[in-house]
This record gives sequence, structure tokens and C-alpha cells, in this order.
Amino acid sequence: MSAAPSMPSVQAPQSSAAHGAKLSSTPRWGMVIDLNRCVGCQTCTIACKHANDTQPGVQWRRVIDVEFGTFPDVERVFMVVGCQHCAEPPCVPVCPTGATRRRDDGLVTMNYDQCIGCASCVVACPYQARTIAHDHSWYYGVETAQENHSRHREREGVAQKCTFCIDKIDQAMDRDLTPGIDWDVTPACAASCIAQAIHFGNLNDPASNISQLVRDEPYFRMHEELGADPQIRYLYSTPAVPGRDLMPEDLGDGRLDDLENALVGKRQQFWDWRAAMNWCFGGLSSGAVVMLWLWSLYMPIVPASHAAFNFLFAILMAAGLFFVFFKIGWKSRFWRAVLRPQTSWMSRELWAALLFGSAALISLVWPHGLFFAWVGVAALLFLVCQAKILQTARGIPNWRLPLMPWIVIATGLLEGTSLLGLIAASQLPAPFLGGRDTAVTILPIAGVAFVFLNASLWTGYRMSARDAGIGPLSRAVIEKASLFLDLVGHGLPLLMFLSAFFLPDSAATFLVIGGAAAIVGGIFKKFTLIVGAGYEQGYALAMLPQRGSGTKAVPGLSNIKSSPAPTRVYASGS
Amino acid sequence: MKVEVENCLATRIVSNFDIKDQHPGGGRVCVKAYGLIQKTYNPHRIKQPMKRTNPRKGRNEDPGFVPITWEEAFGIVGEKLREIRGNNLLNEESVPRLAVTTGGGGTPVQYMGTFAAFLKAWGPIDQGYGAGQGVKCAHSEHVYGELWHRAFTVSPDTPKTNYIISCGLNSDASGGVVGVRREADARARGVRRIQVEPHMSITGAVSAEWVPIKPKTDAAFLYALIHRMIIERQFEETCDISHLKQRTNSPYLVGPNGWFLREEQSGKPLVWDLADHRAKPFDAEIGDPALMGSYPVSGIEHGADNEKFLHQSIETRPSFQVLLEHMKPYSADWAEVECEIPAATIRRIADEYVSQACIGETTEIEGQMLPYRPVSVVLGKGINNGWGGYSCCWARTMLACLVGALEVPGGTLGTTVKLFRPAASRVGSVVPGEDGFMRYCFNQTSSNEWKRNPSIRNAYDTLIPLLPDSPWSPGLGPAHLPWLFQKEAPKNWPRTTPPDMWICCRTNPAVSSWNAPEVANRLAEFPFIVAFAYTMDETNHFADVLLPESTDLESTQLIRIGGTKFSQNYWHHEGWAIRQKAIEPLHDTMDISDIVARFAVEADLVTEYVAAINSGAGGTRLAREDKYDFSLPTDQVPTSEQVWDEVCKAASWDLSEGREVHDLAWFQEHGFMLKDFSEIDWYLHPAMKSQGLRYEFPYQERLTRHGRELSHRLGEIGIDWWEEQLAEYEFLPSYRPYADIWLNYAAEYGRDPGDYPFWAVTARSMQYAWGANAGIPIINEIANNIAGHKGVILNRTRARELGIGEGDKVVIESVTGITEGRAVLREGIRPDTALMIGQFDHWKTPFAKDLGLPSLNSVTDLSLKLTDSTGSGADLMRVQVYRAGDRRDNRGQATE
Repeated sequence: MSAAPSMPSVQAPQSSAAHGAKLSSTPRWGMVIDLNRCVGCQTCTIACKHANDTQPGVQWRRVIDVEFGTFPDVERVFMVVGCQHCAEPPCVPVCPTGATRRRDDGLVTMNYDQCIGCASCVVACPYQARTIAHDHSWYYGVETAQENHSRHREREGVAQKCTFCIDKIDQAMDRDLTPGIDWDVTPACAASCIAQAIHFGNLNDPASNISQLVRDEPYFRMHEELGADPQIRYLYSTPAVPGRDLMPEDLGDGRLDDLENALVGKRQQFWDWRAAMNWCFGGLSSGAVVMLWLWSLYMPIVPASHAAFNFLFAILMAAGLFFVFFKIGWKSRFWRAVLRPQTSWMSRELWAALLFGSAALISLVWPHGLFFAWVGVAALLFLVCQAKILQTARGIPNWRLPLMPWIVIATGLLEGTSLLGLIAASQLPAPFLGGRDTAVTILPIAGVAFVFLNASLWTGYRMSARDAGIGPLSRAVIEKASLFLDLVGHGLPLLMFLSAFFLPDSAATFLVIGGAAAIVGGIFKKFTLIVGAGYEQGYALAMLPQRGSGTKAVPGLSNIKSSPAPTRVYASGS
Repeated sequence: MKVEVENCLATRIVSNFDIKDQHPGGGRVCVKAYGLIQKTYNPHRIKQPMKRTNPRKGRNEDPGFVPITWEEAFGIVGEKLREIRGNNLLNEESVPRLAVTTGGGGTPVQYMGTFAAFLKAWGPIDQGYGAGQGVKCAHSEHVYGELWHRAFTVSPDTPKTNYIISCGLNSDASGGVVGVRREADARARGVRRIQVEPHMSITGAVSAEWVPIKPKTDAAFLYALIHRMIIERQFEETCDISHLKQRTNSPYLVGPNGWFLREEQSGKPLVWDLADHRAKPFDAEIGDPALMGSYPVSGIEHGADNEKFLHQSIETRPSFQVLLEHMKPYSADWAEVECEIPAATIRRIADEYVSQACIGETTEIEGQMLPYRPVSVVLGKGINNGWGGYSCCWARTMLACLVGALEVPGGTLGTTVKLFRPAASRVGSVVPGEDGFMRYCFNQTSSNEWKRNPSIRNAYDTLIPLLPDSPWSPGLGPAHLPWLFQKEAPKNWPRTTPPDMWICCRTNPAVSSWNAPEVANRLAEFPFIVAFAYTMDETNHFADVLLPESTDLESTQLIRIGGTKFSQNYWHHEGWAIRQKAIEPLHDTMDISDIVARFAVEADLVTEYVAAINSGAGGTRLAREDKYDFSLPTDQVPTSEQVWDEVCKAASWDLSEGREVHDLAWFQEHGFMLKDFSEIDWYLHPAMKSQGLRYEFPYQERLTRHGRELSHRLGEIGIDWWEEQLAEYEFLPSYRPYADIWLNYAAEYGRDPGDYPFWAVTARSMQYAWGANAGIPIINEIANNIAGHKGVILNRTRARELGIGEGDKVVIESVTGITEGRAVLREGIRPDTALMIGQFDHWKTPFAKDLGLPSLNSVTDLSLKLTDSTGSGADLMRVQVYRAGDRRDNRGQATE
């Protein structure tokens, strides 16, 4: 749920002592936004567009318009959103190239020349702060001299987001000016805000403008429970308007499955079917390689055949990666994706693929057990990387669940087992896997085990979805997919694998049907999870100003002497 | 604001922090201004003069515009100007042959260059063709406000007030940069605003409380507040008695015929002195003026048309006593039925208002002690215009008067004067008039002075006594009547023929008027239209000649800033700022001042044109006797630059009392020049007190006298179609069920009112404001972040009952018009209300015509029935709403 009042993310005013303890010579740039000042005028939005020359549809800063409650008990809030320049930015570690980083002063930066446009950072951001514009567009549909002059080709096809007007802040140091105080060196949104709702400054300086604001007023941070340590604080009360907790009825009546509700995250568009294909091909191939290697430990396989199948699976894996290649914004920079294995699971995935591919090639000419082990371990690593890529994309609630990596791995293993089953079936009664009896015994047992594992994980995932903060739109997709998945991806393979075990004479048929069903189920599951149910985090308010109509309105003034209605006599001549 | 220019290209708009210490908004820029870059580089601009080749005019006729040179354009226009001058400036009906229309709320003079000089040089011009005036402006507030407290518009003293009752004033969307800042500061300080309106506007959203109200019943709510204060509760406990006695006409004695009882010799209204137990003239030494009771007094009443009523020892009552009796029916319980706000809520708000009024307290402003009354009541458009507008404005001002919160720190203030002079000084306009009130120049209604033949087609000087002879009055007249009467003249009224020539300046009445489609039909009948054109639009479509004007970034003008102006512009400075060319004109366009200079040449009016500039039509007089003389020679045509150069010098001399004289180049370098503006001049109280003046409140004797006289005059010539309007002239305005006028309006067209169960209303879009920027894509992009900019807002539950889902295309249909748009479902709106923000429904303007947005202007009606006595209407209509494609009998049914 994108706006659940689940976590205690409200902050009491900070004591100056606490602030003093954090005093450091390095600034920590942040913002304080006053919900009671903001009128949603969008001056910040358009000032940002001017200052940063963003192209049509791209808004690094904007103000959303949100309603709570139901008529006649209604509240409406305008909320400034954008990059929170998190202290623990989820977008940074996932970047495979190092294009996005966090500076010591807290600014989360973008190096457009290094970015390949893979969108890892986009889906990692729980604040929908990032986007990629693959194609340039013009406001009037045709080029104008001014827009052409202001065009930033370096931003096309790569990730972009609010920079806190980093150039201005860097100028401040040279000009001995103070961002947040001196408007020339203050981010355009804050400098232009006609309501003075957006305050910018140094959170490390207890005497700064914004430190004083949060020292004197209670505030909350958005999605604080996600652990990104966002650096935008929202004030929500005034002397006349106290704050209040978000109530269940505030977002009742299906409001969180209403895509017109600005709080509700949209279905992510950045990792589309091409990205899903990587998980499909990657999971299938790596699972098969892992299972083949494990099999070879139990039952020796003809090395040449083992090497040949590994090579075939490597092609499959490469095909998956090729789909991703076609999705990224800057294909000529694809190689940069290997540069950040220390933090990025995407980089690690590529390294694993390279390890796997190279070993698979070597084993073709030197089919030694060592290389088969290398291939197997690399494939397992690849599968783990794929699992972790999804989990670390923290901007998509249904991806970041703890069960997600296990689902990806288990799915891959089931798919791999199923693929082996298909291969084995095609060669029965003289399989290369070491004999018919073994194949029709071990493969069905492994299949049944992995089906159980997958079904259990899926059920666990479904059951925990609501509590894990997956929104209703995403949950609906998951629920809708479950029937097909349980029937085709779990039930049918289970039945077939059991049949293969108990009716070995017809094992080939059962393995083919069961394996195919399991693979179809796996593909369906990945498309469901990545494309169908992949909704963005959305926005949330942990606290609300107490204002609005009916039960939402501020309480009446307490010092009123509410006198009864006396009947007055107007005496003449008095 | 400032414009960043790179390689001769205007690239960005930025705040002007050079003026951050003087500008109450800190030098920041309104969201709309950021659209000026795209406005300038709009590929759809009209890039050279054009003329029409298809003589047939109509919405479905292709005008066949073809490019021409400026010389050819001026030749065509000049020929027409000379033809008119060579004939007669007035036509057969004695109204001007030349007409000019400016923007919906009056195009700001800041963008008209020296156009005013040409208008002045020309002579009689009909400036009374409306482009939305009367419904789009705060009309009743304008005219009554100027009468009562020099308040062309009304504002809370936001920096000092603590409690605001706002009936639909969407000030956080319409208050501009300064207003938004002041309101935000006030909220952070702890101000408590109660927003009363049928939908939760931007302002309602950021108020402490939103109170949904049935449209057009605000007067009931306001009357009930008064009732609570002075009838249910002891008014001695709730009111500022001293203020009522000293600063209002509350103690003036009222005779049996309703007129003030006056001293026979002097004609001065009498007051009963409780200390001496006798009546005295209002300006005599009075120990304790009576507010209540009945007293036997001799005197004379001055009725209408010099009718006199001499009385000997007759029972008279102070007007406050009359008020008490007048307000008796209007209890909170009564109002609950009328306006659908719980009585307990009304009582609570009244009590809170009183409790926060700080009656008896004072505060120091620049060394002077002034009453401190931090409570305010304000009204929005739709409430302060049209039927009920008078009652609401009266009740609003009454609430301020009761607690002494009128024109004092923290209270309800006027912002600017337009109808009364001097226009540059609100306080300076406070001069003594009759009966102890401020002077006010009504249009005369006596039999020998009444202007039987209106000077222009909207007849403001014939029908509206409250509109004195000022440059603003034509536009404040019933500016829709020319359109209406052109179609069909009412009984005993001269024929309304179109002007021989109509100049359209920065306005688009074919979109912005009430019943815009009907106005478009009338425009098609105009024989010759010259339009200062930016892009093709719905009005230009009917033009004969298009004269492309340079945009704001391509032209020059010196602009007066500071002081107190509309919409909460209360400065501590006043002076001048330059709007200068950021870039050279991109196309073959001209600065408006240069265009009108050529008009003067063509019309052989150069001397008069320059003389008008010299006498102040460029913003300030270029010469003052014994002080300075920067006059332009009247024998040659000055360029725009030459005009502003001299205006700069005169303005700077005037501002600095001769200490500094700066030319255009200086202003172009420095941007602005200011001097201090005293905060004490935000308030009329010191000027009223020092001159011993009273607010003409609560009793409206003068107004009623003019109304009665006007009634006589119209009756004498057989005009009976203004009778409902004449009934509005009352000593104390009675409440009428104003909502019923609209609720029953369908019956005027023989339809069943029950078939129109929705109130269609509109609201200000801060991003679009008057809507001239509807063709600018970046404005559309950012406006879409705010609900309602993509269609018509409907109550979610109600819409679902009607089978209307989010984003469904719906039809909004009244008895006279139809418009379509997408449904936007929200909770912050009454189930019987449909909200269409801004004004759209474009069919010609590039980009805007593809937005598919609905417009209230397409379903409202031009109608005498909907016109109040000040000549205004309210911007709302009863409509049916149904899903496009549905059969009409599937439309929603009334919930009432």
C-alpha cells in the first residue's frame, strides 16, 4: 500500500543538542517543505523546467494534488515531490556503471556520459524521481529555436532526475554564498516558490534555516520505513492547523486502486517485456545449467554432450541479455555495465554471464570437470544476480519482498529441471543423462520438489503481499495470475511429474507436458511479476494537516463561549 | 521578473531578486509568466499583418486570411478610421461608431502601451462591449465597494488578521504572487480561514475548514452570521458599539417613509442623543447616540425626485434599530434550510468571528494607534456578482462594521480605487461628501439630469447610477447587453447596431464571454474588425485585419508598481518598473505603441495623440507646471522608445520630487525605481477619522433614492424590462431565494427545471488565469498536475450513480448551450455541482482547440433575467450531465 500509515516515520521536533552532535564541516543539503504553505501553483515545477531545460513531460520537481476522505468529510493536500537526495539512496548501488553517485554533501548526482539508460536506478527509486526520455520531443510538435538551443542531447536515453540544481550549489562555494539563503545559489524550485513552501539548506548546520524549521516544528519523511534516509522533510502543522494521523477512511473506497489518485504508483514502463525476457531466458538457461551440473555430480555425463548443452544454454542466456541490450538507452555504452560489481547486481550478473560464457566456451574444447563446475557455479551466480536485481529495485514494492529472490531462484531451478526433462524425454529410452531409469526417477522427484517449493513460495508471496506494502493494483494482478499459475505452472507439472514417476513407461510424455507447463508457468510468472504487477511505489503522507470539511476540519476554537439563543425583546424608547 | 537571453534567444524566465526586499512577493514570478518563452516562440504566432479575403463571416466560414504588409494594413485601417471621422463619430443612435474591447477583467494597462492616448485622442468610443466582464469580475464588489470604502476589490489585512470567513474567494489561486505569499505567511503564523463554497478550491484546500454550501445562497449564510451576532446574542457584547455610533450611519434616524429624518433647515440627518434626550444633526456634539429604540422627533425626509416629507414629533428609529428588525427572520435555523449548512456550524462560525475580533484593542502603525480587529470576511466571484451579489457585499461589509473591522489593521480592506479619483491614491480619494459620508459621484437620476440616451451601447450611464463617469465605468457597465440587444432590442429601447469598426485588444470574447458561442454569432455581424493578434483565435476568426503585436518579451513599457493594488498587493513601496525588450521581435510584428501611433497618423490625430501622452495617457503626465516639462512635441509622431524615454524622466522626477531624473536607458539598466509607501495608507480609518466621516452603512438611503428615481425615469419612457433590477434598490437589502433564479431558469425556455439537476460552476486556474495562455503547451503540462484541468470535476459517488467513470467523456448541457469534456471524479465537491475550471472550449486557437476541455462559457446565457441591478451576472448555470453517447433521458436526476 503506497500510503499506509504503517511505520512510525513522524519526527518530533529535533533538539538542538541532537543537531549539534551531527555538526560537521561537510554540508548535508536537504529540503523542508511546508504542506500548509503549498498551494499547488506549480511555479516550482515550471521554474525547474526552465532552469533545467527539461523536455516535454519530464518534471524533476512537481506538486501532486491529493484528496483524502469521502464527501462531506474531505481533505485536499498539495505535496511537492521529486528526488529526495537520500542519504542511503537505493538508486546508487544498483547503478551498473557508476553514473549515479552520492557526494559527500549528500547530493545524488548523475553523470549522463556514463549512464547507459538501463533504468536500474529508475526502478530502484521509491520516490518516482527518475525517468528516462528515450526520444526527444518538442512542445509544439515542431522544433523551435529556443527549444533547440536548450536541448540537452546528453540527457536523451539516460536516467535523469532533480539535481538540487547542483551547479548553483557548487557556485555557492566559489562565491561564498549560502544555498537556501542566497537565492542565486538556491535550487530553482525553492528560489521560485511564491508561497515559500520549499526551503533548502544545510541539515548539518544546526543554525541553518531548515535545521531551525525542523527543530521547531514536527515533520515526517516520505517512505521512511524503506530505509533510504530521504533528505526532504515535510512540515504538516501550524498553530491553527494541528497535524493528524492518516485514518483508514482517508484512503477508503478503493482510492488506492485509482490510478487518477496521485498517490498511487503507476505501472512501471521502464523494464518492459524485453527486460522480462532476460529473466525468462536467463532463469531457464541458468537453471538448466545448474541442474545439469548437479546432475553430473550424481551421474557422470558424456563431457562432450555436457559441454554442448552448456553452450546451447549459454546462447539462450545471451539471447536474454540481448533483449536487454535492445532496451537500454545508449547501446554503444553497454560495456560500462560491468563497471560496478562492488555494488550492482546488474554488473555482477554480467560478470557471472561472462564467467559462465567463457567457461562454457572453454569446456567445448577442454571438457574438464573443473570447467563444468565453473559453468555451474557461474550459472548459479547468474541466477542469484537476477534474483537480487529485482529485490534491490526498491521502487517497485512487489519486487523488493524478501521472498522475491527465492522465487526467482526456485523458478529458475524448476525451469532448468523441466528443460532437462524435456531434453531427457526427447532422448528416451537412451538418454545422455545416464540412463532411462535414472532419468525417469530423479527428474520427476526433482520436479515435484521444485514445484512444491515454487508453489509454497508463491503462496507465501501472495499471503504476505498486503502486509509487505504491495498496493492493491499490484496485488490484483498477482491474484488474477495465481489461478493460471497454480493450475498450469504448479498443478499440471506436479501431476505430470508424479505420473512420470509412477508410470515410467509413459515418462517421456509426462516429462514433456509437465516440463513445458512448468516452463510456461515460469515465463508467465516472470511476466506477471515484472511487467504486470510491477507498480511503482507511489507517494505517501505519514501525517496530514488537520484541515478540510466535516470530520476532517480543524476543531472549533475552544475558547468560544457558545451561548444559547436567547429570545430578545426590543423595547422601544429604551 | 528577468529573462535569460543566450545567443539572442530568450531561454528562461527567472525571479528578479534585485527587488526582493521591496516586492512583497520577494521578486518571485507568477507561474503564468514562465509561459512567456513559449508564447514568444510559438510557431502558431501570426507573423505578419493579414487581411481577410472572404467577406462572409461565420464560425464555419474560412476567413481566407492572406499576408499583407504593414503599409497595406495601415492603409486599410486608416481608410476606415478616416471614413468614420469624415462622417460622424456617433451613429444614428448617437452611440460611437468606433468600439474597443480589452480583456475579460480589463486588459492590464501595463500591456496597452500608449493605446489609451489614441483612445483619448479619438473622442467618443464605445468601450462597453464585454469580453466576460460582469461575470468574470468581482462586479458588485467593485461598484458597492467603491461607494462604501473605496474598495474596488476587497481583501483581508492578511498579515495581521487571525480569522477569515471566505465565501468562495479563491485567493490562493487568484491572489497572485504577493497574495499567495501573504496567505502562506498568515497560515504559518496561525490564521484560521473558513472557506465556504460548493467545491473545495485551492483556497478551500489550504483553509482550516471547508464548508460546502449550496450555490448562490451565500447571502443566507452571511445574514445568519449577522443574525447570530445581533439578534440571538446581545449585540452590545458582540459588536463594536463605538464604531457603530461614530463611524457608521447606524444612529441616523429613519422616518416613516424610510428616508433619513433630517433637520428641516440644514437637511442634515438627525441622531438621537441619549445624553440630552433630543435629536441633533449628525455632526453636532452628541453625548451618546442611540442605536436602538424609537423616538419622537420632528424633521423632514428627502425622498426621491425632491419629494419632501415634513414631520412633527413623529416616531423615528435609528437605522440600527431598523437593521435589528430587518434581520430578525434570518436565523441560523432558517439559513440551514436555505444554504444547507448546519445551523450549529453557522452559529459556531459567528461566535468564533466575534471571539477573534479583539473589540476594543488597538495597535500601532507607524506611530499611530489604530483599532485592531483581526477578523475579515471576503467574497469570491459568483458570490459578489449577479443576483445576490448586493446582499452578499452588504452583509460582508456589515459583518466588518459590526465589530469595527472595516479599514483597520487586521480587518477587511479595500485594495484599490478605479471609479473614483485620484486613481493612484485610495486614501486620497477619501473626501467629504453629503450627510457625513465619503463623496461619491452617482450618475444622476433626476428628471432633468438623467441620461436618457446612453452614451454607449451598454448604457451604464443610463441604467447604473453607481457607475460614475470614469474611464473604468464603460467596462463595468452591463457589458453583455450590447451583444444581447444586438440580437433583439428590448421594448422602448434604441436599436443596437454593431459599431462601424471594432478594435479587439488582447481579448477573446468569443471564448471568454458568458454564452461565448452567442457572442461569436454577434461578432460575425460586425462589419469591420481590427484585432491586435497573437495567434489565430476564436475572435480573430471574425476579423478583417490582423495586426500582430510584439509579445511581452519584445516590447517596452514603463509600469507603475507598488502601493495598494488588486488582489492583496499591499506594498511598503511605490514607483515604476520597466518592461523592456528582452529580444528583438522574432517576426514582422510591432510594439503596440507604434501600432496605435500609426493609427493616429492615419486618422490625422497626431497632435491630439501626443497631447494625450503629454497629459498622462502613458502612465504619468509629462509636464507639471513649475516642476518639469518632458513633453513630446505634438507635431511629430514619437516612437515607442521616445515615448517611454520621456515617461521615464517624468515618472522619476515625480517620484523623487525632482531629485532624480532617469531616462529609458537608466530604467533598462536598473529595472525599477521606488519610494516608500506608508503602511498607514493601507487603511482608510485615519483619513475617515481625521475628516469625521462615516461609512455609509448599514443604511442605503442615497442608493435607494437613485433607484427610486431611476424607476421613475424608466417608467416615464415605458421601459418595464428593468423592474426586477430596480427592486434591488432597498434601504436594507432583503434576502431573496437567489438560487431559485437559476433553479427555475429552464422554465424560461419552456423546459422542465428538474431536467437540469446540476449546478455548473467555474473556478480560477492559477496556471491559466484568464486563459489567454491556453495555447501554450508548457502551461498545459504543469496545470495537469492539478485536478480538474483535464475535464469537468464531478462528485465521485454521484458520478458513479450516473454510470459515469473516471475519464469518461461527458456532455454538460444547459437550456442554451452544450459543452463536452472528460469526467474527473473527486470528493471535494457537492453531489449537485459540476466544476469546469478556467475557460476553454476553443475551436480555433492552435493547441488549445485540441485539448477537448469543457467550458462554463458555453452553457451560460446572456439574459436580462440573469442580470442584476449593477449589470452583472453570476458565473454559473443549471445543467444536466450525461455520458457522451448515452441517450439524453439517461441524464442525472435532481437530488433535491
